[in-house]
Amino acid sequence: MTLLRRLGPTVGVPVFAVLVAVVISGVVMAVLQVDPFEVFRVMFDLGDTPSQQMTAVVVILNRAVPLFLAGLAVAVAFRMGLFNIGVEGQYRLATIVAAAAGAAVTLPGPLHLLLIVGVAVVVGAFWAGIVAVLKVTRGVSEVISSIMLNFIALGIASFLLTGPFRGSEPGASIISTAEIPESGWMPGLNGIFGLLGLADPPRQLYGFLVVAVVVGIALAVLLDRTRFGFDLRASGLSPSAASASGVNARAMVLKTMLLSGAVAGLIGLPDLLGATRSYTTDFTAGLGFLGIAVALLGRNNPLGIAFAALLFSFLDRALVPLQIEGLPASVITIIQGTIVLAVVIANEVARRIARRSAERGGAASDAAAPGDGSTSTGQSAGGGGAPAGTAVQGTGAGVSRTAGAGQADDHRGAGA
Amino acid sequence: MAATGATGGTAPGAGAGPEGAPYAVELRGITKRFPGVVANKDIELRVRRGEVHAIVGENGAGKSTLMKTLYGMHRPDEGQILLHGREVRLKSPADAIEAGIGMVHQHFMLADNFTVLENIVLGSEPTRGGRLDRAEARRRIREISDRYSLGLDPDELVENLGVGARQRVEIAKVLYRGATTLILDEPTAVLVPQEVDELFGNLAELTREGLTVIFISHKLDEVRKVADAITVIRRGTTVGEADPKTTTSHQLAELMVGSELPSPETRASTVRDRPVLQVRDVTVMSAVGRPVVDGATLTVREGEVVGIAGVEGNGQAELVDAIMGLRQPTAGTLVLGDDDVTGWSTRARREAGIGFIPEDRHRQGMLLDATLWENRILGHQTRPPAVKGPFIDRRGARTDTARIMREYDVRAPGPDALAVALSGGNQQKLIVGREMSAAPRLLVAAHPTRGVDVGAQAVIWELLKDARAEGMGILLISADLDELIGLSDTLQVMLRGRLVATLDPARVTPEELGGYMTGARIGGAA
Repeated sequence: MTLLRRLGPTVGVPVFAVLVAVVISGVVMAVLQVDPFEVFRVMFDLGDTPSQQMTAVVVILNRAVPLFLAGLAVAVAFRMGLFNIGVEGQYRLATIVAAAAGAAVTLPGPLHLLLIVGVAVVVGAFWAGIVAVLKVTRGVSEVISSIMLNFIALGIASFLLTGPFRGSEPGASIISTAEIPESGWMPGLNGIFGLLGLADPPRQLYGFLVVAVVVGIALAVLLDRTRFGFDLRASGLSPSAASASGVNARAMVLKTMLLSGAVAGLIGLPDLLGATRSYTTDFTAGLGFLGIAVALLGRNNPLGIAFAALLFSFLDRALVPLQIEGLPASVITIIQGTIVLAVVIANEVARRIARRSAERGGAASDAAAPGDGSTSTGQSAGGGGAPAGTAVQGTGAGVSRTAGAGQADDHRGAGA
Repeated sequence: MAATGATGGTAPGAGAGPEGAPYAVELRGITKRFPGVVANKDIELRVRRGEVHAIVGENGAGKSTLMKTLYGMHRPDEGQILLHGREVRLKSPADAIEAGIGMVHQHFMLADNFTVLENIVLGSEPTRGGRLDRAEARRRIREISDRYSLGLDPDELVENLGVGARQRVEIAKVLYRGATTLILDEPTAVLVPQEVDELFGNLAELTREGLTVIFISHKLDEVRKVADAITVIRRGTTVGEADPKTTTSHQLAELMVGSELPSPETRASTVRDRPVLQVRDVTVMSAVGRPVVDGATLTVREGEVVGIAGVEGNGQAELVDAIMGLRQPTAGTLVLGDDDVTGWSTRARREAGIGFIPEDRHRQGMLLDATLWENRILGHQTRPPAVKGPFIDRRGARTDTARIMREYDVRAPGPDALAVALSGGNQQKLIVGREMSAAPRLLVAAHPTRGVDVGAQAVIWELLKDARAEGMGILLISADLDELIGLSDTLQVMLRGRLVATLDPARVTPEELGGYMTGARIGGAA
């Protein structure tokens, strides 16, 4: 019962939101005179032969791995209320440096891989660390700086690719780094298909899937079961309460961003190590931004993110078949966008409902407490009267929002 | 004049016939209960038209609850509200505005990058053909400004205005909506003395023009200067009216704090010799470089309760922050036991044995959206039973939360309930239980019984007394003078950041204490 209640919003809300989004996108398609049922049919048509179907599954899984990692990277920061919009730049930069480093050396297999992964992690963490340092030393909003750093990262990546790290022939249509020698390739996982008695598709299932699963589990344990995770979550729920409890807010920002960036550094590796073996001008882009959507959909929970990543990659897989069928591939983007919107709205609605039902009985005395006390300058001295930040504190403010001024009313302000 | 955008009508109730001239505002037997708390009880308030009527009372006496009732932010459980002799039911602030009641909040709600005009009309814009009619708005604002000598330029940007002028914009905003009764909530809290005088001048203009002003404050000198009548609230109920011309600040203070003997009494001294906390010449600067704590020196010994009395905003919160390591003092040292902890982090200080009951439990004491067992961990992230090494011990935390709920009478469905579901008193008992469970050497208790019901208050007092008997040193900051006098072994009075007097709670009366707090009495040891 309690389990059900706890899982209810975690599972029910996103599922509901996805269904709503599918209906809405169906309507949009109909308006655009695209037959939604035809689109959905293509989407679910994985192929005729077992081999084709397995290929589709591998494509979905391979796409889901980087999405999953991207979602994790965003979610780690998001758990403490930090918006790491910079995942995009972090992984692009990490991938190109890792690709160059991997191509520059030849080491025994596992060591070579370890080196590439290590470089990617360090570069990703470093790039995210800049954001953290700016935030804790200069108070720069991480949203702004991480967006800005995205541009810088992409610029640096282009420079590196065309300059020092260039490995392709001059005049080649696609510029790339030098190819990573075979000792640095990640073996595929197609062996398991044989073990499971499934058809072995021609395409390789990324070995990085294993790494992603391990990272996912490790993060789940870290976030939910450790002191560090507790501090992180507490900082996200209420920065003021967290610091009063002894959490060093600055150190927490730094650690969280480094962790987020480190995970972000991994995003490009499934493709790099499993397929492309070099960073090219057309290396998979946009995973950082999709990661934000995936993290939202997965409610910052590693398991949820896994499902969200699978859903997004399932939708992405249909891009090519849709075009083959002469249907506009942009409907996928529409569906994804609608899902994100629906999930954001549904999450917020669910949060309010949950809170309201929890507050019933508690709410009124909540309103009484500040009224009974906090007053004059004492409370907010130094804080510039900041109403305790986050939405956490918005308890009964709705009551007073109708005030004539038409502006949100800090209900703490009315202390007597 | 009343072109307000407010909706909803005031339902005239049983039109209670006025005796003589009707009062502008009359409250009869207003009672407002919150679960577990009676915030207002049998409030009687009569405000004549055209007067400045002050409502004074201690923090937590129920002033703001009363004003929220009058401003329609919540409805009273009992009693009547009469405006100009007619009973009204105010369902929302919109109703209150419609009925001519305006509220000037303590914290301004102005958009800096808007002009005075835009701020004033925001929410009730005069339109012509769907567009903002600036000319009309400007004309009316000029009219209001001239009539009440507010001296406002409609086209000035608010960000260029000083605090006093901003307050006048707030007043103009309320007048623009046709208010005839203005509620000013602690209007002088943010003003410097000259601005206070200006404000009082403006208030005189308002009342000369027949408007009524309800002035909420706990600054007795100001109240006596500006008010035509004073109503005193104590512990949620009105205890009487006073005439400012014939009443002294001393008498007002007496009315405010009451002369009943304190109930939280503890007499047998348990004070031992060993100091737990020594605060030496600690100075804390505000963001603008003004000392908010100015050379504070005090010692808390084992088994001693040191009470800090003071009108709120005189540096108590900053002193607490400095002791907890949430704010770095610019000078002075803090010694816990034998260790100089001045440079220690909050966590290190907590681990070294400081317990903390923060003054605002929602802001600093709890994670409202987290479960009770997670709140049990908060502040104790590095210590058993909630934690095993680097891992959270969920089972241990749940078990211990259940124990706290049992032993400290926290009424909640269970350790998995969300903290937000608990009443204020139960939240506070959980916090007290949590802090006590770690057996700290020093407990910093800021307003430990604020906003909790009487039952919880008694429980918390008992807990503090027991802890003191066991040798815990307690630094008690409170606005409740009875609590301070009753629990403390030593009383320090804080005024403008300085510890100005050390008093013996066995001999001081609440009235005397009130005198020291407001600066009416000076210095001296008792």
